[in-house]
Amino acid sequence: MTQYQVSAVEKKFIGHHILVAILALAVGSLFGPLQAFEHAGWDFYTYLKPLIKSYYQGLTVHGVLNALVWTTFFIMGFLTFNVIFGLKRPLKNLTLNRVGFWLMVVGVVTAAIPILANQATVLFTFYPPLKANWAFYAGLTLVVVGSWVEGWGLFLTYRDWRKENPNERTPFVAFGSLVTLLLWQICTLGIAVEILTMLLPWSLGLIDNVDPQLARTYFWFTGHPLVYFWLLPAYISWYAMLPKQAGDGKMFSDSLARLSFWLFLVLSTPIGIHHQYVDPGVPPAWKFLHSVFTFGVFFPSMMTAFTVIASLEHAGRKQGGSGMFAWIGKLKWNDPAVASQLLAGILFFFGGIGGLANASYNVNLVLHNTAFIPGHFHLTVATAVTLSFIGISYWLVPYLTGRKLWQPKWAVAQAWIWFVGMIIFSNSMHVLGLLGAPRRVPLGLAPYVPAEWNSRLFQVGLGGAILFLSGAIYLVVMYKTATNKERVETEVEVPIAQPMQDPANGPVWLDRWAPWIYGALALIVLMYGPVLFEMIKNIALTSPGFRVW
Amino acid sequence: MAKKNKGDDEFHPTGTIAILAIFVITLIAIWTTIYMILVGRGGTL
Amino acid sequence: MSAQKLHIDSYERGWMIFSAFLLVAFAVAVSVAAFGMGIQVPAPEQRVDPRTVATDPNSPWSNPGLREVAPGKYDAYILARAVPLWEYLPKELTVPAGSSVSFYVTSSDVQHGFKIQDTNANFMVLPGQVSKLTVKFDKPGAYNFICTEYCGSGHGIMYGAIIVTP
Repeated sequence: MTQYQVSAVEKKFIGHHILVAILALAVGSLFGPLQAFEHAGWDFYTYLKPLIKSYYQGLTVHGVLNALVWTTFFIMGFLTFNVIFGLKRPLKNLTLNRVGFWLMVVGVVTAAIPILANQATVLFTFYPPLKANWAFYAGLTLVVVGSWVEGWGLFLTYRDWRKENPNERTPFVAFGSLVTLLLWQICTLGIAVEILTMLLPWSLGLIDNVDPQLARTYFWFTGHPLVYFWLLPAYISWYAMLPKQAGDGKMFSDSLARLSFWLFLVLSTPIGIHHQYVDPGVPPAWKFLHSVFTFGVFFPSMMTAFTVIASLEHAGRKQGGSGMFAWIGKLKWNDPAVASQLLAGILFFFGGIGGLANASYNVNLVLHNTAFIPGHFHLTVATAVTLSFIGISYWLVPYLTGRKLWQPKWAVAQAWIWFVGMIIFSNSMHVLGLLGAPRRVPLGLAPYVPAEWNSRLFQVGLGGAILFLSGAIYLVVMYKTATNKERVETEVEVPIAQPMQDPANGPVWLDRWAPWIYGALALIVLMYGPVLFEMIKNIALTSPGFRVW
Repeated sequence: MAKKNKGDDEFHPTGTIAILAIFVITLIAIWTTIYMILVGRGGTL
Repeated sequence: MSAQKLHIDSYERGWMIFSAFLLVAFAVAVSVAAFGMGIQVPAPEQRVDPRTVATDPNSPWSNPGLREVAPGKYDAYILARAVPLWEYLPKELTVPAGSSVSFYVTSSDVQHGFKIQDTNANFMVLPGQVSKLTVKFDKPGAYNFICTEYCGSGHGIMYGAIIVTP
């Protein structure tokens, strides 16, 4: 059996994405444990003073590099691979994609300079009127524009494929990737408008004041679908690759997998106001409406849970597993790509539960901006997404480089250590949040911390230490793999789980783009149009900038 | 490779339903706990 | 071309229907709390100019503090600020148990948060906007209110307290 050969130059191009991603993860993850240690009362920031001025500068580095840079670069690399491999054709215009990639790299460097100079200690939400150096906003803009350009390159590649294959179903890994890229193109309009019409001219001194409420609304227009931009690539792997790796399983329902991706495209943008339930300037009717639609976007995740688990069960039974649960043990847990993604999936159950609680309108009064929130998103973006990407890299890097994965046992151990560390860390963060502990606070120093929080704060530090160990093992495994003298004998097989039913027998409307795109845009106009129109009509540019760090 | 899997049509995902049942019970328990905290603290108008 | 219908496995169909019912049940529970019990999120209250809100003599936040509007009913005007120091004005309020207090909070500089521990008062405080929620304090004790949004290096020291006397 021969698989489609991705050209060496394209493999290298994809590999560069993964390299930048892992470098960002390496630096960003250095600071994660420092926040956790601070909570436990071990403040290392005092020793970093000449280089890193404060807890918040460290937190900004951690958030920007891990949540924005690691994810975006890994995703663009992985999706580029999926489109090429899925469609079995080279990129239409490699130069265009290269331009996009280098715009992103230049953007990261441009934004990194003010961050490292303590001129942009505004965290990864950069809410005005905290005012960073203009280069921070310009750099972020370049990252987004670069990702757009790469997306256009992939759309053009798809258009050519479609012309030559008018009656074929889009192969699933390419389909899921293109939907994810489309979602990204639509939803990043919010942040683009926020930066280009307000923050960038303001930081350059062209305008004096901004409207913080309007800026938040633009931000969360992008901020929530951003979560799905992170998550959907992991879903692609869970749906269409993991069942194959876990035991030669088949994808339980190709049609419903496609339907769930369309639902994510349509529903994940017009719900951003659920991050603004307790904002003063947004009418409660809109908040409530967005909460109803947020319940709606939970639905395709429930579908995903079923299809993915059923596909895994199929794999487990194929390996001779039986009983209600015994088949789980038959999955290939000794494959690090499998172990990482299964463990990521298990913790995602709890990420989903916390997310539903956050999204539940007034229930947010109990949780808003407490430690529950970082507890939650360390289960989602920092585990469901990050640990899955780590798992993907365990086969993708050997595939791209032709070098054998160094010490797979260490890689399996890494995944388990992450799992244990994250359970300790995130459980204590969730509990602290319910007790009333705020997020984004050096709780080791805060004057209002009651004694009853202390045991939990210690657990935050302990979890952080274990996660640090796991992250270090990952970096060693990746470094040793990238420099491994031992090469794979034949090209690593790309895991693709075949669907149980032939996709060609699925409904045609699942492979039509226009109705879904129009639907998504219409819903955005409906759900955001009136509220944004009112805010822009009554815009109050009254906030000058502050640099209070 | 010897294939002895029964036809895919006969595959019944009973284990999946069992796992999802545990998930749903956990979901309801945690969500309700937080909801009760909210209700216990009373109105805001 | 044969009609290609969406094939859904019977187990999965059951799961999808159940999921939909479950989500509707959560939405109903939330609605009951919001519209039945009056546990509501903040609504647009008033717009102010953050550059003058703390100094304009006509602004209640130039003289922040407690006003008794009726027996047992209070309005609390609170100013959150990062400049010159991270603090709430006033830092402490005292009311008798059984009081109902409406909090009107705004900022004269950056974004802040306002969360009164062990109550449902938890909201963003934005320059240019006034955030309002009401809390009834039945149990005597000290209720800290803390800043829940990053507002600069002193974010972690920004808090105050409501003292509820018996």
